[in-house]
Amino acid sequence: MNAPILSIITFIPLAGALLLIFINKDKENLLRTIALILTLVIFVISLSLYINFDDQNPDPQFVEKSSWIGYGINYHIGIDGISLFLVLLTTLLIPIAILSSWKYIGKRVKEYLIFMLLLETGIIGVFVSLNLFLFYVFWEITLVPMYFLIGIWGGKRRIYATIKYVLFTMFGSLLMLVAIFFLYSMYYKATGVYSFNIFDMYKLVLNPSIQVWLFLAFALAFAIKVPMFPFHTWLPDAHVEAPTAGSVILAAILLKMGAYGFLRFAMPLFPDALTKFLPYLGVLALIGIIYGGLMALIQKDVKSLVAYSSVSHMGLIMLAIFSLNVEGIQGGIYQMLNHGLSTGALFLCVGILYERAHTRLIKDFGGVSKQMPVFAAFFLICMLSSVGLPGLNGFVGEILCLFGIFKANMVLAILGVTTVILAAAYLLWMFQRVMHGPITNDRVHNFKDLNKREIAYLLPIIILMFWMGLYPQPFLRKMDASVNKLINQINQKKTLFTETKKESELLWDIKTIENTAEDHQEKEEPVQ
Amino acid sequence: MNSLNAMFPLLTLIVGALLVLILEVSIKRENKTYLAFISIIFLMICGFFCVQSWGKDFSYFNNHLYLDNFALFFSIVLIITTILVTLISMKYLSLQNTNVGEYYALLLLALSGMLIMVSSSDLIVIFLGLEVLSMSSYTLAGLKRDDQKSSEAALKYFLLGSFASAFLVYGLALLYGVSNSTSIAVIIDHFKTESSLSFMAFAGLGLVIVGFGFKIAVVPFHMWTPDVYQGAPTPITAFFSIGPKAVGFAVLVRLLYPFWHVAYDSEVIFSLLWIISALTMIIGNLIALRQTNIKRMLAYSSIAHAGYLMVAILSQDTSSLMFYFVVYLFMNIGAFAAVIALGKKDKEYLELDDYAGIGFKYPWIGATFAVFLFSLAGFPPTGGFLAKFYVFSAAVREGLVSLVIIGVLASLVSVYYYLRIIVYMYMREPTHEVDINLENPALFLVLFLCLYGVLQLGIFPGNILLIIKQAVSSIAFL
Repeated sequence: MNAPILSIITFIPLAGALLLIFINKDKENLLRTIALILTLVIFVISLSLYINFDDQNPDPQFVEKSSWIGYGINYHIGIDGISLFLVLLTTLLIPIAILSSWKYIGKRVKEYLIFMLLLETGIIGVFVSLNLFLFYVFWEITLVPMYFLIGIWGGKRRIYATIKYVLFTMFGSLLMLVAIFFLYSMYYKATGVYSFNIFDMYKLVLNPSIQVWLFLAFALAFAIKVPMFPFHTWLPDAHVEAPTAGSVILAAILLKMGAYGFLRFAMPLFPDALTKFLPYLGVLALIGIIYGGLMALIQKDVKSLVAYSSVSHMGLIMLAIFSLNVEGIQGGIYQMLNHGLSTGALFLCVGILYERAHTRLIKDFGGVSKQMPVFAAFFLICMLSSVGLPGLNGFVGEILCLFGIFKANMVLAILGVTTVILAAAYLLWMFQRVMHGPITNDRVHNFKDLNKREIAYLLPIIILMFWMGLYPQPFLRKMDASVNKLINQINQKKTLFTETKKESELLWDIKTIENTAEDHQEKEEPVQ
Repeated sequence: MNSLNAMFPLLTLIVGALLVLILEVSIKRENKTYLAFISIIFLMICGFFCVQSWGKDFSYFNNHLYLDNFALFFSIVLIITTILVTLISMKYLSLQNTNVGEYYALLLLALSGMLIMVSSSDLIVIFLGLEVLSMSSYTLAGLKRDDQKSSEAALKYFLLGSFASAFLVYGLALLYGVSNSTSIAVIIDHFKTESSLSFMAFAGLGLVIVGFGFKIAVVPFHMWTPDVYQGAPTPITAFFSIGPKAVGFAVLVRLLYPFWHVAYDSEVIFSLLWIISALTMIIGNLIALRQTNIKRMLAYSSIAHAGYLMVAILSQDTSSLMFYFVVYLFMNIGAFAAVIALGKKDKEYLELDDYAGIGFKYPWIGATFAVFLFSLAGFPPTGGFLAKFYVFSAAVREGLVSLVIIGVLASLVSVYYYLRIIVYMYMREPTHEVDINLENPALFLVLFLCLYGVLQLGIFPGNILLIIKQAVSSIAFL
């Protein structure tokens, strides 16, 4: 590995955005073509990550590290089995999103594409950062383009929705920032060295009473992003008001940042607090599953139905991750990808309907499948993937998740299975009302079936759905090493603290793992 | 080193100011921009002297004027501020019917007052500098003679500023009574010898802090700010929002930095400042929410920023304070420059409604203004984020966690009103026609420089941090 592939993938979109600034805004097709080609090139480059990824190595690969500002703030990026697929999901979905908005975004195309590209830089940055500072910077950067995407190109209540989105997310992330400062200063006090390096932070063994507060701050930021019940209220607003591509990215990728944050930061950093809060988090995730499903059942608007289905599905993912075993976490990550694909595709389908009908209310449709047979087939596959039909990707993910949850907690698992039942209920019912039955709305007669562009962006997703459903091995095996390492890390740190409990009863007492390990050796030697 | 060199920056400014005044009287020309160029030349010479003296510790007048790196750093920041303010004033003055040549002379004099304040550690000398600054400021605030708001601003500023000066002098007298000296170092040394602060010393110190509290506009001494900021000519508002604040904080650093380490009972002062800081952040941001006039909103935002800076004072982290000022200089002048850009002959657009649709109509002004607002709100990768980051992380390191939580929540509130301007600029349809005078190259230069500054400081601040480090290590307490 010679070329800094990760940096290239992260910053080409930024360079592209700067390039677009200098192109005349009236040449809309030129702008779109440049953005599309650029993002496709990034996707192709990112495939090389997958090919060259060593699945035996649990540590981050393609690591790049160089000093930046000092005081522990370094440019440090890399990916492991957990972030690999999230990066790939991003690079795949951004060109699809751009393609899907080719016609829909007719105003201010230039600005739209610039924000899309900035968003891609921000999202990939979040998934590759190995330095807490860098992570936080990217985490916040993603807010800005999304704020504009919803606020400028959104629906009627877009300003309310976008401000709510920004304020909710910032509320969580600012408190997380304080927690990051706290970690930073504690690391400095413990070792005398400034560091934001996430691997250095992993070594900190913190007193549980401090962990509780730090964990709460981190978990709040991530739970708002996921979103977990009861912090989900921004999501339906943002989704309904956002333009199609915005919803796709929001649901498919941005929500994953929250779950990723739990996996990368909140859980391994604060294992003791995690164990303490696990029951509550599990219950919240479960409420999210059932509440999201029930809310989806009664929605009149197709888009908000899909939005609430996201709440429900993300609940299952979080429940699986909180089961803290290999099946659960792997299933959670796999389900994140599935959810990204299937919900992204569902939003695309809703967008296709909206472009034709200029309405999203279920009652305005009916009998669409007669007019649009190809679309009906695509929509059906996406919907079944979301429901979890065997043979499609959703099934593999849900089965793994549920295996994991069963191992951890039988009651939660039994109640968690309702997600499948509810998903089947609200999605099939919606499908039936929209696609089948008699045509009640005259406008439906004029609907044209999918054009080539629409097929072009739906087809890759459909293919992936089948592939991931029929042959998941290539995906799962890449995750094994990293997931195992994560679980070991959490368990090992827990035991470490119980061993050194006596020394650490003081609130401010902290030690790094290395130090404590040495202490133990010294103590044990005379006994032998 | 005792050397006449210490006088050069000051002398340059005063010569420049006098020259501008003489030229103004003797050359009768309608167009006064040449005066601006002359004063910029003198400002640059002054800046050159400051850079030359870096690291040389020049002093004069029995050390009453002492150019340590700390003083030089603030001097350079203030000189840059004045240059930028002069640049944004050039067109503004002729457009807004305030075409008077004294303007530039007064700016130079105000700057000389500030240089005296930052480069002395004798309270009497600091007071003299303050008065030089204040006299010029009162006049500058009231420069639009025919405008009621401007006159109101001048009068309010004058009355409340006089009160503040009176507090300061009273406090000074009490401190002198306790310690027989007006030098900060001697006063603090005297505190060392006492087992506890006498009431007189305590009152003296408190009154001095109150006096400076007016200048830096912290709650509850902020009442004058919104009216003065709204009434004063906009470039002067930009100047007020940075200059007096910077010197106020510089003096507070000189006064309080040694005080934390020696004096008994410093907890009382500490907790008072803690409360002031928290109140400033909360009240500044909350009231800004309700403003519809951009200048008033920026006034309250500057109050809120003073609150964040107080956090830096409390955490005794001078370098984060100085970094914050450099960033604040660029983002705030940038924001005001964008506000000035939206104006034409005899008309300024200052209401939120005027900004509807500006972002697409004037994409460059809109985009740069948006960057400054994101920076003020503290979004990465702008300098505003890094500045807050340093201040708050230093505060957490010193154990001020609850203050930092108040601070970040207050800045969450600030996100709302900063973004509200962006909402108007980009997400609302214009309700009425807004046409502006675009022939203003100096202003666009400033916008560009500030944009560059905000991004450079946010992404690659390395050099500045190095300079700040040198400056902090040199702080002299004579």
